[in-house]
Amino acid sequence: MNDLLEAPFDVKDYLRLEMMPHFMCPGCGHGIALRCLLWAVHELGIDKNKLAIVCGIGCSGRVGAYIDANTFHTTHGRPLAFATGLKLARPDLTVVVITGDGDCLAIGGNHLIHACRRNLDLTCLMLNNEVYAMTGGQVSPTTAIDRLTTTTPHGNAEPTFDACRLADAAGASFVGREVTRQAPALKNVIKAGLAHEGFSFIEVMSDCTEIYGRKNDLGESPEMIMSQKSDMRPEAFGNVADQPFRANRLRAGIIAQRDRPEYGSVYRQRAAAEQAKAKAKS
Amino acid sequence: MSAAPNIETAPSTVAAARATNVMVVGVGGQGVLMISKALALIGQKQGLQVKQSEVHGMAKRGGVVFSHVRFGAEVWSPTICKGEADVLIALEWAEGLRWLEYLRPDTGVFIADTRRIVPPFACRSRRRGATMAYARETPAEVIDKVSEGYALDAAAIATGLGEPRAANTVLLGVLSASMGVPVAEWLAVLEMLVPPKSRAINHKAFEAGRAWAEAAHDDASLRFDAGITGDVTHADMAEVSVRLDINAAWCKGCDICVKLCPERCLALNDHQVAYLKAPQACTGCHVCEWLCPDFAIEVHTTHQVSMTVSE
Repeated sequence: MNDLLEAPFDVKDYLRLEMMPHFMCPGCGHGIALRCLLWAVHELGIDKNKLAIVCGIGCSGRVGAYIDANTFHTTHGRPLAFATGLKLARPDLTVVVITGDGDCLAIGGNHLIHACRRNLDLTCLMLNNEVYAMTGGQVSPTTAIDRLTTTTPHGNAEPTFDACRLADAAGASFVGREVTRQAPALKNVIKAGLAHEGFSFIEVMSDCTEIYGRKNDLGESPEMIMSQKSDMRPEAFGNVADQPFRANRLRAGIIAQRDRPEYGSVYRQRAAAEQAKAKAKS
Repeated sequence: MSAAPNIETAPSTVAAARATNVMVVGVGGQGVLMISKALALIGQKQGLQVKQSEVHGMAKRGGVVFSHVRFGAEVWSPTICKGEADVLIALEWAEGLRWLEYLRPDTGVFIADTRRIVPPFACRSRRRGATMAYARETPAEVIDKVSEGYALDAAAIATGLGEPRAANTVLLGVLSASMGVPVAEWLAVLEMLVPPKSRAINHKAFEAGRAWAEAAHDDASLRFDAGITGDVTHADMAEVSVRLDINAAWCKGCDICVKLCPERCLALNDHQVAYLKAPQACTGCHVCEWLCPDFAIEVHTTHQVSMTVSE
């Protein structure tokens, strides 16, 4: 507790103050996720000039705009592809991808599975609010069954993606999940993901009050934040690996962590070997 | 203080008449059951009948745990009646006091850790500087009441050895000095009970406890720390000054801080901007700061030098 009291973290050091207050709706969980990311960056002592944030399109895509670091706002679904190029060209940078559930799993689903497979040292923060909020509230791959959206006026019939299982199966070497309500725990998961060498996939369970919560009678933002607690069950409640879809039984914390060769270093080793070969030939 | 009870020779002489009763109490996670298992094994090694009965179910970490161990030539009941425990060994101070009436009034030996683990419900007020509902008896008072008592800061001894969790083994070492079983046998039992990687530290903790007890057996003034007072303030409850800065220009009135503040000390004003309604109730817990999606709240806390607490 004492460490906490004395922590000199001031979120304002990491924000573009001229752009504040941010554009997000009242009670949007993305702001909490942003704080946790900056908090983790601060605790790891990462230099702002060596931090690159790559964002896609959507509410989550706008989060990066408020960070006082090197930020990219890329095309829909492609932040992982941009980040891959950036990290390969500049391995000295800490590259963080901020993406949303639609951006990452639908439009950019292909990029996600290959980024997981490749295992380049990136940290992918997927802010999951279960809906395409910025474009007016269409159904997304993580929208729970029976939920109302503008494109599913009689309730969503499609099964839901469990993004962490997807990333795990695709080979991500670090998979984590946390809710915005547990801000310090979320910070710790992000911190572990940033410190991990290899592809880190972190699903942040955020909430969309204006577009999704209101339509589905989930209450105002405080009620949505409070209900997050019952969405997540500790592992002690049983083995939830058999539950494929989000149905109030999701594991939180660090879900998978494994040692796999990091793609960037493998790539550079091969390139150096080839260069040496070519030199010997000439 | 009367003479030590004759449990050294219990296996051969006293046990014929009646069983030896040892009661182990503490809170969840301290290792009460490890101590009682060690005792049961020791009893079995002496060729005695052993019966052990414990309550631990709902305790999890922090709840009440107690264990009855009875050994003798012939043991029938698995539980100890009030006033019949030959030894009461308490891993937590208030738990020791709670079960004190089980101790044999004339010959019982009381061994307790003076470390206080304050249960959540003892913190009736979360306000800064609030006092807690926790036992106020000092070791000096309690040791004076029992026939033979030992109160030591086993947790501090174990922490000094590098492993706070070994406090139970320190107390086992203290207990062993009151029983006539050779040290080697205790260590053999310990080795059976603890995982290989923590054998060395448990060995050291046992020796430390035993050494403390041997010194205390000879000199009654060493049996408790007279410096411990009945003061029930917790170090974490040191006075903290809190300042809340609310940036009205950034606040969007989402109500999260108002509804999620554990002390309900925030409110929205007529302009739907959060303000600190009850500053005296604020504990500086940072929840509003962490959960404000708009970065509108900053909590500044500073430790005060003053540690005094008003009643």
